[in-house]
Amino acid sequence: MAKIKVARKSTAIDMTAMCDVAFLLLTFFILTTKFRPNEVAEISIPASTAQTKLPERNILLIQVNKDGQVFMGVDDQNTRLRLLDKLKERYSLNLTPAQTNAFRLLDAFGVPMAQLPKLLSMSNDDRSRAKQAGISLEVVPPKQSEFMDLVQLIRQSNEEIRVSEGRPPSDIMKIAIKADKEADYEAVNEVIAQLQQKKVNKFNLITSARGSGEASTAKE
Amino acid sequence: MAEMNIPDKGGKGGKTRSKKQSTRVDLTAMVDLGFLLITFFMLATTFSKPKAMEVNKPAKEDNQEIEEAPIKQSKTYAIVLGKRDMVYCYVGADDATGVNVDSVTFSRTGLRSMIKDRQKAVQDQWGDKDELFVMIKPLPESKYRNMVDVLDEMAITGVKRYAIIDDFNSIDSLIAVGSGNRLRPTKGFNALKLK
Repeated sequence: MAKIKVARKSTAIDMTAMCDVAFLLLTFFILTTKFRPNEVAEISIPASTAQTKLPERNILLIQVNKDGQVFMGVDDQNTRLRLLDKLKERYSLNLTPAQTNAFRLLDAFGVPMAQLPKLLSMSNDDRSRAKQAGISLEVVPPKQSEFMDLVQLIRQSNEEIRVSEGRPPSDIMKIAIKADKEADYEAVNEVIAQLQQKKVNKFNLITSARGSGEASTAKE
Repeated sequence: MAEMNIPDKGGKGGKTRSKKQSTRVDLTAMVDLGFLLITFFMLATTFSKPKAMEVNKPAKEDNQEIEEAPIKQSKTYAIVLGKRDMVYCYVGADDATGVNVDSVTFSRTGLRSMIKDRQKAVQDQWGDKDELFVMIKPLPESKYRNMVDVLDEMAITGVKRYAIIDDFNSIDSLIAVGSGNRLRPTKGFNALKLK
């Protein structure tokens, strides 16, 4: 008797469709991605139901970490350069062109002003690994704190850049505070109080969107 | 897939037949590469944009006492934030006698229902629940998260009038002492008193 031959099926699958899907997704992610900026401090933000979006650009970001250390960053590079000119004058710093360029590319920093040149002369890798002490909030009358100095100078620089670029007055820099949820209230409050001294009364607190789980806030 | 083309030894002389070659290409490697890159971009991307909560603080006028219209105590509600996520609330009064302080936690049954009850009481007494004025008083040892949570509760319960207040009255001091909280800020935080 002749056996019925089972047709041997090929194990090869047509990969074309899968390849299409993979590259479609890849294109999507390449186009929508915005790289996570180098974090200067580890901050886990609290959740809230607030729905307002943070403006994409032209913000002054003030970060407060768990220990109450303060870091600042401006996103506009022209403002950064203008700010550095003012800082050089105020704190009589001498900087090389390389250090100036490093500051232009620096997203956020948090060192006392006297240590700024040292921070800028580090390589990018060293800088991201170095522990930064935070910007000083200490007020020694009659001088204001370095933090208040910075707020003032950053806003001045930003205003000058805005005028020189001919942008409308409505395009002013927004101030956002990104604080760790475990930070002490008094540390954040100090930052806010000093901002208010500099006539900043309107700012954004950065929070993440709250999931549907309502109990996330209650620590049980 | 893994076929080997063994070139046949051209015996016989004569014509070499050009073999028909398959146009199919093995795409497995390409798919691998595609998914590898997808994984990279997925992990590198910040997908959920952070949201922002807008805060407007009253402008501080230098050396100028602003005379505010006093608010009736029966329209107020004070929320004191302490350490370890505790909340103490009371209906405003001038002295500590006969004040009923409730201590609750951040949860649907805790703080939110207290605020809702208070809104209802104000609604009954004054005919409009928006008359309620909530005073948020975070003690120095409370966490930043607590403040955000309370501000969030204000948005959820629809309280229109509220303020974060840093002056503590005698009742707040009693609460702080009773719950083991510090009342004074740490040294070095002095801008509050800076005029």
